[in-house]
Amino acid sequence: MIELKNIEKYYANKGVKSYILRHVTTSIKQGEFISIMGPSGAGKSTLLNILGMLEEPTYGAYEFMGEDVVSLNERKRIELYRNHIGFVFQAYHLIDEMTVAENIEAPLLYKKVSGPERKSRVADVLDRFNMVAKKDLFPNQLSGGQQQLVGIARALVAQPSIILADEPTGNLQSPQALQIMELFKKLNEEENITIIQVTHSEVNAAYGSRILHLLDGVIKEDLAVPQGV
Amino acid sequence: MYILNLKIALRNLLRNKTASLINISGLAIGLAACLMLLLYVSYEWNYDKGFKNADRIHQVMFNFYGADKNIRATGDQSPNTIAGALKEEMPEVEHISRILWPVKRLLADGKNSFKVEGRYADPEILKIFDFQVLYGNLDHALNDANSIVLTASTAQRLFGRMDVLNKVLRFENQVDLKVTAVIKDLPPNVSYNFDCLNSWKLFEQLNSWVVDPNWHNYSFYTLVTFKQGTDIPAFNEKIKNMSRKHAASVSTDSEPFVYPLADLHLYGRFINGKPAGGQIEQLRIFTILALSILIIACINFMNLSTARSQKRAKEVGIKKTIGASRKSLISQFLMESLMLTFVSVVIAVVLVELCLPKFNHLLDIKLKIAYAHPLNWLGVIALIFFTGILAGSYPAFFLSSFNPVQTLKKTVKLKSSFSLNFRQILVIVQFSFAVILIVATLIIYEQLQYLKNKPLGYQTKALVEMPHEGNLYLKYDLLKERLLSSGAVSAMCHSSGSISQQNSNSTGMEWQGMSEADKKMSVNQIYTGYDFVKTNGVELLEGRDFKKGLASDSVAVMLSESAIKRMGLVNPVGKDVIFQGVKRTIVGVFKDIIWGSLTTKEKPMIIAFNQENSDVITMRLNTEKDLKENLETIGRITREINPDFPIDIRFLDQLVAEKMKNEATLGLLSNLFGGLAIFISCLGLFGLSAFSAEQRTKEIGVRKVLGASVSGIVQLLSVNFVKTVLIALFVAMPVAYLLMKKWLDKFDYHISIGWQVFLITGVSTVMIAFLTVSWQAYRAAKSNPVDALKYE
Repeated sequence: MIELKNIEKYYANKGVKSYILRHVTTSIKQGEFISIMGPSGAGKSTLLNILGMLEEPTYGAYEFMGEDVVSLNERKRIELYRNHIGFVFQAYHLIDEMTVAENIEAPLLYKKVSGPERKSRVADVLDRFNMVAKKDLFPNQLSGGQQQLVGIARALVAQPSIILADEPTGNLQSPQALQIMELFKKLNEEENITIIQVTHSEVNAAYGSRILHLLDGVIKEDLAVPQGV
Repeated sequence: MYILNLKIALRNLLRNKTASLINISGLAIGLAACLMLLLYVSYEWNYDKGFKNADRIHQVMFNFYGADKNIRATGDQSPNTIAGALKEEMPEVEHISRILWPVKRLLADGKNSFKVEGRYADPEILKIFDFQVLYGNLDHALNDANSIVLTASTAQRLFGRMDVLNKVLRFENQVDLKVTAVIKDLPPNVSYNFDCLNSWKLFEQLNSWVVDPNWHNYSFYTLVTFKQGTDIPAFNEKIKNMSRKHAASVSTDSEPFVYPLADLHLYGRFINGKPAGGQIEQLRIFTILALSILIIACINFMNLSTARSQKRAKEVGIKKTIGASRKSLISQFLMESLMLTFVSVVIAVVLVELCLPKFNHLLDIKLKIAYAHPLNWLGVIALIFFTGILAGSYPAFFLSSFNPVQTLKKTVKLKSSFSLNFRQILVIVQFSFAVILIVATLIIYEQLQYLKNKPLGYQTKALVEMPHEGNLYLKYDLLKERLLSSGAVSAMCHSSGSISQQNSNSTGMEWQGMSEADKKMSVNQIYTGYDFVKTNGVELLEGRDFKKGLASDSVAVMLSESAIKRMGLVNPVGKDVIFQGVKRTIVGVFKDIIWGSLTTKEKPMIIAFNQENSDVITMRLNTEKDLKENLETIGRITREINPDFPIDIRFLDQLVAEKMKNEATLGLLSNLFGGLAIFISCLGLFGLSAFSAEQRTKEIGVRKVLGASVSGIVQLLSVNFVKTVLIALFVAMPVAYLLMKKWLDKFDYHISIGWQVFLITGVSTVMIAFLTVSWQAYRAAKSNPVDALKYE
C-alpha cells in the first residue's frame, strides 16, 4: 500500500544541513498496525507527516496505493484525504466551534456525501462509540479521553483505508489510553484498516503488529510484534 | 455545509464579543456614513431629472461678448422676447415658456392669508414639465390671466383641503384669481420649484414694464422642449445670431444657446462659454469621501480578521486534513464576511434613519430612503457584496493559505514579515485617509472663517430688511417717521434690492475719458433714497450720501472704490457720468460692498438716487433697546400702515450666511465625516492593539518576570503602532497639501496654507493613536505574569 524509497528530509540553515530523516526506506501493506517509536527529535512526527502528505520530503520517492504522491497536486491530495486517510492528533484538534456531531459530520460534508446518508453514518458512529448522549456538546465540555474518541470517530466516519495517529494517547491517562488502543486494535482486526501510530509507550506499541524504531532520522529497527501478547 | 458554516460563523461571532462588536460597529458606522453621503449625492445628482422628459427640457442661455470679441460671461437669464421669436422662427421647438424667479406672494381666501413662493409662467410650462394633476385640467390652466395653479400642500394650507377647484383667491391684495388646477407637490430637488403658478398675462397686467418687448433686459428664464430628433448643436448654430438680428446693440453683444436643464444644476459654471464644472465637483468630493470611509471601515475588517488568524489557523489546519479544499475555505470565510456585512448594513440603515432628520436639518435638504424603489434594494445588495468581498477577500485568501502541519504544530509564523507588513500597510493607508481628512477639515474651516470675517463693506449686525410692498409705497415717509420716533430703529432706507445679494447689473455707463470698449463694462446697480450710507454702515471714502433738500441730488450717484479705479477717475466727486441715459453727478465714493459671491472679486458698483424703484426696506435696529421689543414695535407699526400684508422681517447676517451655503455644507460634511473616519480608524487600531497584546501575552509575562516595568511594556507595545501612524503622516501630508491648494485656488480670496495646520494634525493624530493603543498595552502590562505563563 505504501512504498517509501530513500526518503530524506533536511533543513538548510546558513549552508548547514540539519537532517531530520535519512535514507528511510520501507513498505507498508494494507491491514498492518504499525507503531513508530523513538526518542524525542528522532523524526517520528516528520515521518508521519510525510506519510500523511502534510509535509514533502526533500528527497526520495513515495508511492501511496501505487501512485507517486511527491508530485501530486493539491486537488489530488485533497481527494486522498477525503477518501483514504484519517488523521488522529495528540491534541485531538477538534473544531471548537462545532458540536460533537458536527465535528464528526465535517469530513462527510467535504466528501459530498448526501444528507440522509451523512445523518445515518454519524448516528452509526456515535452509537458505536457510546456518545449519542454527548452529540450536542462542544469539545471543551468533554474530557480528554472523550475528545480523543470524537477525534477517532471523525477519522473513521469517512471510512478511510488508513489512520495516521500522532501520539493519540499522549495527553490521556492510562485507562483512557488503553481504551483507545483497544479500539485501534479492534478496527485493525475487524475492519482491516491500516493504522500507523507514533508513540513513546512500549505498552501502546505492543498493540500493533510491527514497530519501526527511529533514531536520529534513521530506521534502526523494524520489528514484527509477536502476536498474542 | 453552508448552514454549518453559517452556524460556525455565528458561534465565532458570539465567542469573540469585543472583536465582533468592533468589527460590526466599525463597519456599520462606515456604511451608514457612506450611505448618507451617497443619498446626498444621489439627491443632488437627480436634480431636475425627475421629470418624464427631463432629457429633452432645455434652458435658453446667453453668452455675452466683451469688447475683445471674447465671451466675458454666460448667463441663464433671457429677455422676454426670445421665447416668442424662437417659437415663431424655429420649427424644431415643440414647447417654449418664459418663467419668472420665485417671489413670495400673498395669497388670501378671506380668512387665511399666507405668503408662498410664486412664479409667473406661460401656459406651455405645463406641457414642458409633466406635473401630476390632482384636480382640474392642466391643458388650459394658465390661459386666463386670472387663473392660478396650486400645489397640494399650498391648497391644504390655504383651504384645509385639496379639492379646491374654481375657488377664488385674493392675490397680493390686488386681484382675485380662480384656482384652475391642483398638482402634486414637486420633489425638493427641482430648480423651478414653486408653491403656486400664475399666468404670465397677469404679470403683464400688474407690471407695465414687462409688456414691451425688450431684447436688452435679461431678467427672465426661458425653458424649451424640442421635437424628437432635433440636433441640438445644429440648432444652437442656427439661433446664434438671433439677438443681433432682432436688436443690434453697442453695449451688449450676446449669443443665445440652449443647454439641458438637467445639466444646469451640476455643470452650471461656464468659462469662455464652455461648461466648466460646477456643483459636480463638490459631488465628486463627497463620492470620494464616501468611498474613503467605506475603505477605512473595510480595512478595519481585514486587519481584525487577519489579526485573529492565529485563532482560526487551527480550524483551517484541521479542515484541510479532513479534506477541505482551499476553495471551500475561501468561500467559508467570504460567507462569514458577507454575513457580518449584512448585519452591518441592517444596523447602518437603522443608523441612517435615526440620523437623517438631523442631517436634513443641518443641510436644509429633504433626503429620505426610498424603500419602495427596487433599484435601491439592488444597490444595497450590491453594496453588501462589494463591501463583504472587499473586506473579506484578504482574510479569506490569507487564512486559507495556511499549511496544516504548521498550524497544527502551533509554529505557524503569524508574524512572518509579509503578513505584518501588509497589515501595517493597511493601517498606513487608513491613517493616510484620516490625516488628509483632518487637514482638509481644518483648512476648510479656516477658509470659511476667513470668508465669514471678510469685511463686507457694510455692518450686518442689527441690520434687518423687509419687503417694500402694498401701502408702504405711498406711506413710506410716514412709516419712516413713526419707526424713527418709536426708537426701535436708528436709521432706515429703501432700495431696489437687498444689500445682501447681487440682484441687478447693467452695461453702457459713460464717463469722460472712457474708451469705446468701456461701454461693455458691467456694473452692479442699486437704486435708493435717503440714508443708505447711515443705515447700512457703508464706509464713505470721499464725498457724502444723498442729502434731503438738495434738488440736484435727484440725479446724483455714488460709486464704489473699484469702480473709480476701473474707470480711471481722479478726484471723482463732482464729475458727471451718463447712467441709463441720464446725466448724473458723482457725490460720493464708498468702500467696496461685497454684493455677489463672497469668494469672487467684486464688479464695479453704482448706487443711484431713485425713489421710484424700490423693493426692500432696510432698517438699523436701535441696539440700546431689546431686540425682541424692537421687532415687535416694527411689526406693530408696519401692520397699522399696511394691514393686508404679513410681517416678513429678515436679518442681514442670516442672509449673508446663506450665500455661503455650498461652502458651509462642504465644511459641515467634512467635519462630520472626517471625524467619523478618524473614529473608525481608531476603532480598528484599538482592535488591532488588543490582538497584538493578546498575541504577546507570553512575551509580556516573561518580560515582567524578568523585571520589566509597566511603562516599559506599554512603550514596547505602542511604539510599533505609533511608528505606523507617523509613516502615514509623512505619506498623507504632501497629498493633503496639494489637494487643498487646488481647492483653495478656486477662490479669488483665500487663506494661505500654514505649517500650523500640519503641526496640529500631526500632534493630534499621534496623540489619538497613542491613547487608543496604550490603553490596551496598559491592560496587558498590568496583568499578572503567572496567568500569562500558565496560559501557554
